[in-house]
Amino acid sequence: MSLLQELGAQLRATSDELPTGLVTVAMERLRTATELLNWVRQTSVDPIGVPQLGNATEHAEHAAAALRLAQDAIAAYLAALGLAADSGAPPDQDWKAGLEKKDKQDEPAPAPGQEQQPPPEQLGPWWRERVEQLTGEAPPPPQPNGAPPERTADTAELLRRVAAGVRSGDRARLGRDLHGVNAATGLGLSAVTPPVLRRLAGDLLGHEPGPDDLQRLRGAAGGRVKSLLPGTPPATLDTLLARICRTPPAEQAPAHPADSAVTASVLTGVLLARLGRDPATLDPGAPEPLRPRGVDA
Amino acid sequence: MASVAELRAAVDAALQQVTEGQAAIQAAREKLGEAQQSLAAALDGSANDAVGAAHASLSQADQQLEECFGATLLAVEQAQTYTATL
Repeated sequence: MSLLQELGAQLRATSDELPTGLVTVAMERLRTATELLNWVRQTSVDPIGVPQLGNATEHAEHAAAALRLAQDAIAAYLAALGLAADSGAPPDQDWKAGLEKKDKQDEPAPAPGQEQQPPPEQLGPWWRERVEQLTGEAPPPPQPNGAPPERTADTAELLRRVAAGVRSGDRARLGRDLHGVNAATGLGLSAVTPPVLRRLAGDLLGHEPGPDDLQRLRGAAGGRVKSLLPGTPPATLDTLLARICRTPPAEQAPAHPADSAVTASVLTGVLLARLGRDPATLDPGAPEPLRPRGVDA
Repeated sequence: MASVAELRAAVDAALQQVTEGQAAIQAAREKLGEAQQSLAAALDGSANDAVGAAHASLSQADQQLEECFGATLLAVEQAQTYTATL
């Protein structure tokens, strides 16, 4: 390898490792927090930090744009050196960032005798009531022995379960999986799904989704989402599709935070099914699926 | 109508999301610092415009993340003040 090729490889690695995925994760977490606080704000004149979170999200968006500009500048420099065609661009990995398991190594170990007990679930009834309205499926009855139901606390695992339920077209199973988590895990779907949705939509369309693709995506997914979530407000799906297509969503009153989380997870499952992919491909450790040139949507 | 316990829990859930966002911002800034060092070492002495643009964009990204983090701190403070009044 020549010195020039070595320099090119080093620059490509630097560009690929820029934290675009982490910035996306931050942005989506802040959006989810804003949705929750907006819901609380309906009962109060207090801004509860919503304007500040709006500012924070805007700064994160600008940071993401600056990172893309840096990547473009590095690519332009490589092209000037005649190195641009040395290797194909790696597939976009940002969608995986929100689905990675959290590293618990840095968390302090609980003192002996003070092992962590899960906090009481204050929002459980609130979450399950909304899931019932969205899916039309009542929460499962309590277990006969009175034992608490086993709940997954992993949002990425929940997303794979929801996608499997969508694939099988089993609304009862979908309802069970969504009822079977606590509110924090369920609401986390809002934060992890946006980059996944954009990636899947891009694969379905064969190009990065833009404003002109809105109708096509609505036609490809709208009916299936509605049949699995008969209670979802139409504006929720429209807002999600608008975000995928990077077009401003129509103005609307603050929605229930569970609406966006649940609908986004079902939309993920629908797009995945349209691509003929298994829910296991949502595992960040799974092999990168082949990107089609464009599927008839 | 939501109960006080539900409102408090919703704010707590929002703050949890903000905390996770803050962790992602800090991790992003660390990786960004490494990238800036790596780029500076590899391109030391280059006068190419694209190199200047890359450096400037990375500095801009870092500044935006710093301001983003600061804004989240203010948001958390306001949200905590609100829950204290419930």
